[in-house]
Amino acid sequence: MPKESTDRIQLLQGTLDMLILRTLIQGPAHGHQIAKHIQRSTDDLLQVEHGSLYPALHRLERKGWIGAKWEPAGKDLKREFKYYRLTPAGRKQLRAEESKWKMLTSAVARIMWPVEES
Amino acid sequence: MKWLRRKSREDELERELQTHLQLEAEELRERGVPSAEARYAARRALGNITATKEEVRRMWGWSLLEVLFAEIRYALRNMRKNSGFAALVVLTLTLAIGASTAVFTLVDSVLLKPLSFRESGQLVVAWEHVRFMGGDPVGPNPKHVEEWRKRTSAFTALASFLRWQSAFASGPDRPRLTGSVLCSPNLFDVLEVQPLLGRLFQPRDGVKGQDNVAVLSHSGWRTLFDSDPRVIGRTIRVDDNPVEIVGILPPDFHFPAPNSLRAFVQTQASAAAEEPLFMPAVMDYAGMEWAGNYGNWVTVGRLKPGASIREAESQINGIQRQLAVESMGIRPDQAATAVTALLQPMQAAVSETSGPTLWFLMAAVLGLMLIACVNLANAQLGRALARGRDVALRTALGAAKWRLLWNGLAESLVLSAIGGVSGVLLAAAVLRLIASSPSIDLPRLAEIRLNGNVLLFAAALTIAATLLSGLFPALRVIRADPQAFLQGGGGRTSYGSASGSRLRSWLIGLQAFGGVTLLLVTLLFAKSLFHLLTQDKGFDPRGAAIAVVKIPGKPFEAPQSRVDFIETVLRGLRALPGVESAGFVSRTPLDGESWIESLQRVDRPEMDGIIVNARWVSPGYFEATRQRLIAGRFFEERDRNLDSAVISEAAAKALWGNASPIGMQAHLLGRKQTVIGVVADSRITSLKTKPAKVAYVHYQYRTPYSASFIVRGAAVDGLMPGIRQAVWNASPLVAIARLKTFDAQLTDSLARERLQTLVLTSFATAALLLAMLGIHGVLSYLVAARKQEIGVRMALGASKARVYRLTLAQAGTPVCIGLMAGLAASAFAGGALRKFLYGVEPVDPAVMALTAALFIAAATVAALLPARRAASVDPIEALRAE
Repeated sequence: MPKESTDRIQLLQGTLDMLILRTLIQGPAHGHQIAKHIQRSTDDLLQVEHGSLYPALHRLERKGWIGAKWEPAGKDLKREFKYYRLTPAGRKQLRAEESKWKMLTSAVARIMWPVEES
Repeated sequence: MKWLRRKSREDELERELQTHLQLEAEELRERGVPSAEARYAARRALGNITATKEEVRRMWGWSLLEVLFAEIRYALRNMRKNSGFAALVVLTLTLAIGASTAVFTLVDSVLLKPLSFRESGQLVVAWEHVRFMGGDPVGPNPKHVEEWRKRTSAFTALASFLRWQSAFASGPDRPRLTGSVLCSPNLFDVLEVQPLLGRLFQPRDGVKGQDNVAVLSHSGWRTLFDSDPRVIGRTIRVDDNPVEIVGILPPDFHFPAPNSLRAFVQTQASAAAEEPLFMPAVMDYAGMEWAGNYGNWVTVGRLKPGASIREAESQINGIQRQLAVESMGIRPDQAATAVTALLQPMQAAVSETSGPTLWFLMAAVLGLMLIACVNLANAQLGRALARGRDVALRTALGAAKWRLLWNGLAESLVLSAIGGVSGVLLAAAVLRLIASSPSIDLPRLAEIRLNGNVLLFAAALTIAATLLSGLFPALRVIRADPQAFLQGGGGRTSYGSASGSRLRSWLIGLQAFGGVTLLLVTLLFAKSLFHLLTQDKGFDPRGAAIAVVKIPGKPFEAPQSRVDFIETVLRGLRALPGVESAGFVSRTPLDGESWIESLQRVDRPEMDGIIVNARWVSPGYFEATRQRLIAGRFFEERDRNLDSAVISEAAAKALWGNASPIGMQAHLLGRKQTVIGVVADSRITSLKTKPAKVAYVHYQYRTPYSASFIVRGAAVDGLMPGIRQAVWNASPLVAIARLKTFDAQLTDSLARERLQTLVLTSFATAALLLAMLGIHGVLSYLVAARKQEIGVRMALGASKARVYRLTLAQAGTPVCIGLMAGLAASAFAGGALRKFLYGVEPVDPAVMALTAALFIAAATVAALLPARRAASVDPIEALRAE
């Protein structure tokens, strides 16, 4: 598997939080689901280090942006997962992160691909 | 309770990561990866689980409480290792917090807590200031009060009462003397109290003939009748009158004790117990004089809601001016100042005499507390520096400053908390002792209780102790440079550092300051007490006994029967073997001023009279008290019907100047009396005031009901049973209130001064010991730290004497500065002390010198031990260690 890591992109510092929040906007999910969702949505381009996912989740929980609850998964009442869901504060945070991200990418784009002034 | 959740949070994290691994493995298996391989792959994908967990834990963060508790556990471990030190600290704090809490409880119960009556803020006490009597305000004439009641709108009610001693008998037993309160029937309406059982007084109880009823206080009910509820309706005998008990007061009703609300301030009450018996007084206003009857009754009133005390006072003073002109025959231009009235909140009136004492004790005990804390700070500092290496290591490894600070404080907190709790327990024990000892002259003794306020105070003290004793050292340690510590190996750099020893010097100086101040004040009080006991009293209490008896009214209504009784007793007393002399006096010596009368020259009617204490005495009285004759002669049997008077020297001087008054006549007690003798001034009414002017008349004229017999003889203690028998032989109806030696009466009259001196002495002793401990501790520490330096000095030829000097100088400078500051502060504060001191000026060079000598001696003793250790340092050994 070392080969895989070469064509995968390391996440930028701080973007993981935003991606987690964005994922949770579609509804509650547990850690594994979040990791898989990020991975699949980007066609496995973004490899989320599972090891860094959990500290991030706990940090977001501590900050009050997401809540957590142990719940059974669907019909299988015997198995419980720790489901994370977005809090109102988290929703607000996501909007803030989003606009910041847009500003960053557009700024970076302007330098990388300058548009000729007409 | 976050720290309790940490464990379950750990479990949850484990579960969460395990489910993740399971799901990942399942997914891989579904993709066809073999089961064992799938598990490993899932593991690999997750990465280092332990590192992840560490990372998550870091995200949780350490909650404040978890850190605090970790440090407290650390402190407890440390204490177990140094149990001797911990015990010393706890003991010091227990004593300091215990003493402070006990004194504060007294302040709170006696001064701060509202009186136990409903809406007690509306209650006021009224006084009259009578110009011709001069001096302090006195209880008002009830006849004036009656006019206030009729003509003002500021009060809902006004009631008067009189303190009395009644001979009380519940059955055929011998009557006992108990304190009683004679009151206008509306007293309980003014105080707004409801009976526990039966009823309280009604207006008709104040009508002559219907007044044979009594109400018992709750404690009186308990002590006299064992709380028997069938007591209602029972008839008892009071002063040989049948009286029906109609009601019991509730347990939370505390009538101001006789030492706290007195109609005449100069009167000393020796018993502080609350009166058990309340009886209605028949207020015969018509029979009262307009001018006179001052200082007998106490008047309490309840202000109407919204009425101010000033407004009420100006209303009654308007009436006073009218009464002065219309009824008292005072010239209109003098009416405004002849008899003025003043009102005082009842709480202030009850506590005012003890307020200064208590606040003063409070200041003293807080001073002691401060010294104790300084001592602990000093000790903690030494230990903290010894732990410096540990702290330096933690700092170097990146420990947060606040955590280290807390680390330093945690130990102080634990020790202070233990000290605080045991201090409160100690205070509770001390207070129980105080409340049950009748000789303590404090009002509201029955109300003394540890309550929420007091516990808050104790908690505040504990926190203050923690901060004072822990913060200094902790701050110093975290300021220390970790590099210097770690390089220095033993941290020698910080031991001897300039700032460290400066702080120590400050602490020693502060301790010396506190110790010296307390010591000086204590010595002043001791000298004052000594002065009271040894001053020229003008009488001799040694070898004499006093029997105070109460002649009941009804069986002794005829004056001759009282004369006969007194004579029979005196005959019996003089017949006792070993008795040298025996005399009768109408008022017990040292019970304060009373029976204030005017003495006026007959030959100079234009001259103002003077105020004297009137005393009825028998022949033999002056011999029994050993008062000195200045001129003329004392009473003899032939004065029986002669209207003779003996006056004190000051009274003679005031009326006749340097001329001899012998044979002159004076108006006294409504008669012309011939002066037959002049007796030397004496402090027979009180040791604490200037000798009062006294006029003595023969007991055969208007014989009073109150009687004291003074007996002088060899082996006075052995005479007691004989004295008792002599009184009972004369009449079985008479109750003996007190029978004690004259010396005991003297010490009892100084109860407050003795208490003050005793408490202060214990505080000062504690302060001195603490200061000694502090100096010894600091010096021992410095000597240990400078051992090598001392070794070098000795190797270079320093003599033992020089090493001694060097060590002593370490403590000498701060002690001397503290000493000077303490002496100076005491001189400044002297004014506040003046009212506690008798015959001693607050700035007394002899006392100051003694204080300085005592303190320096104590400091030297404390410093000598470490100095000797320093001088016995072996230079070779010290240098080898280098």
